[in-house]
Amino acid sequence: MRRQLALLDYAVGALRRRRGKSVALAGGLAFVVGLFSASLLLTDAIRHEYELLADRMPDLTVQRLVAGRPALIPESAATELEDIPTVRRVRPRVWGYYFFTALESNVTIVGFDGDAEALDVAVANGRLPREGNEVAIGEGLSDLMGLRVGDEMGVPVGGEVIFSRVVGTFGAESAIRSADLIVARPDHARRMLGVADGWATDLAVDLTTQDEAPVVITRVGERLEGARVLDRRLLRRTYELTFDTRGGLMALMLVPALAAFLLLAFERLSGLGDAERREIGVLKAVGWATSDVLIARMWESAVIAVVGASAGLVLAYAYVFWLDAPGLSDALLGWSNLRPALDLAPALDPTQALSLIGAVVVPFVAVSVVPAWRAAMVDPDSAMRGTR
Amino acid sequence: MSGGPAIAVREVRKRYVDGTRRLDAVADVSLEVPAGELWVLRGPSGSGKTTLLGLMGAMVAPSSGRVEIGGDDVTHLRDHHRTRLRRERIGFVFQELQLVSRMTVLENVLLPLVPSGGARPEDRARARELLERFGLKAQIDARSERLSGGQRQRAAIARALIRAPQVLLLDEPTAHLDTDNANEVVDLLCELRDEGSTIVAATHDPRLAEDARVDRVITMRDGAVVDG
Repeated sequence: MRRQLALLDYAVGALRRRRGKSVALAGGLAFVVGLFSASLLLTDAIRHEYELLADRMPDLTVQRLVAGRPALIPESAATELEDIPTVRRVRPRVWGYYFFTALESNVTIVGFDGDAEALDVAVANGRLPREGNEVAIGEGLSDLMGLRVGDEMGVPVGGEVIFSRVVGTFGAESAIRSADLIVARPDHARRMLGVADGWATDLAVDLTTQDEAPVVITRVGERLEGARVLDRRLLRRTYELTFDTRGGLMALMLVPALAAFLLLAFERLSGLGDAERREIGVLKAVGWATSDVLIARMWESAVIAVVGASAGLVLAYAYVFWLDAPGLSDALLGWSNLRPALDLAPALDPTQALSLIGAVVVPFVAVSVVPAWRAAMVDPDSAMRGTR
Repeated sequence: MSGGPAIAVREVRKRYVDGTRRLDAVADVSLEVPAGELWVLRGPSGSGKTTLLGLMGAMVAPSSGRVEIGGDDVTHLRDHHRTRLRRERIGFVFQELQLVSRMTVLENVLLPLVPSGGARPEDRARARELLERFGLKAQIDARSERLSGGQRQRAAIARALIRAPQVLLLDEPTAHLDTDNANEVVDLLCELRDEGSTIVAATHDPRLAEDARVDRVITMRDGAVVDG
């Protein structure tokens, strides 16, 4: 142990003496690891967002299809499903998208019937709407539109302007869920969305046990012609697969970059400068064994790899969670403009981070073994004469 | 160590083969260096001085013959045993491989101790003591490349002595030094000899080879001992 610490101490000193080369290698490694990590972090963060979203969905969502597209569903359909065994509750929901010209983007308007548990958002300022034209909006939207509690906003619908009064703003654990959200009483939501009384966007079905979902889906199909039923568990799995695939593809595209860097590092580590050759000669001459030189050189590589990989990870974290991953998020999210901006909740799996560092450190140290061995094999006779 | 010679080489030959060409860098040399003496190997470039020095220090394996250090036959030792022998019983000072640049003088002197776990407080004290004795007190924490040629040579000798070796081998210890610095190094070697060290230096510098205090001068030419 004492020997290893002494050799590590020597290796760190050697890296300081060859600062330029060390920084170049660690910087290159940080860049490649940063690309990898950014892809992984972003994929994980987005998957996490969607999983949160899926977890808050009803067990089943029933839609009505007309000509293969989702259409409004009569609220009365809810009563036809309530007596299916294991169905605990059926709620008609009014929600939809409203295109804000000023934002050049859709926002989601959700009708809130007083069931705060089902809505599952955390009010940051003010409260949720209780009556009339009151609305609560997501903090992202609030920031983007410059709206605060007590402000009024008007949206043109069918030739008239419908005014709403902001009574609350909320964040949510899921940025995807809250970023573009406006919550209103159901009647007010209908007016903004142009949904007639007696109709709903879909039906939210809660079950006593999710395991019965396949049976209930069959029953719903039998009772409501043209119904499409979305199973929460299947949606969650779809999100996982979608982002695993996208993240995997991104990582796959980066493999050649890592391979190229390792090759470059091998070339760079293979070439010994005069100063390095002389230094190894001195070490051999003063009684260092080949294994001592080899271990010291491998410690140098390990330090470069750990520092480079850790720096890459930190850079990736900053790029994804502080800068919102410009460029990469478009590729992974699948859309180019999301307004309000999506602030992903920072999440870093320590196991994954350690695995990533290990996955880089091990091959980097491995490719340095041969150059290290060649460097360490300076024979004492050559060392003595100052030649190789 | 027994009462015999500190170093003995018996009918030692070192042959290098380059394609079909064979070159005997050292040819059938036999010498016994008694403990506590200062010997000089002299001769022109290519005469085999440095190779003989390497053979004496178990740094070069002989093609034939026998090498003994402190009475132990080291001719056929495996590489790691030779390394340990060099580390523990022999101090080397080489003309071309002096100090590691961008390290301090003290760090350079302590360098041989790294593989055995680094310098302990008593090692540091000894290193400082050696450097002070060799007139390098003011340069202990200076970077090695800032030293003069003579200072570098003295620091290299201090490093060779950090493990208190039985034998000190030096290759051209006064080369490229001005007269004052060369004299300082010669004085130092004589001092060390007087304290009991066994010293062999290869040189073509008459300032060392012709110094009256040297115990014996061996003259070499074409790999063979021609005088001494």
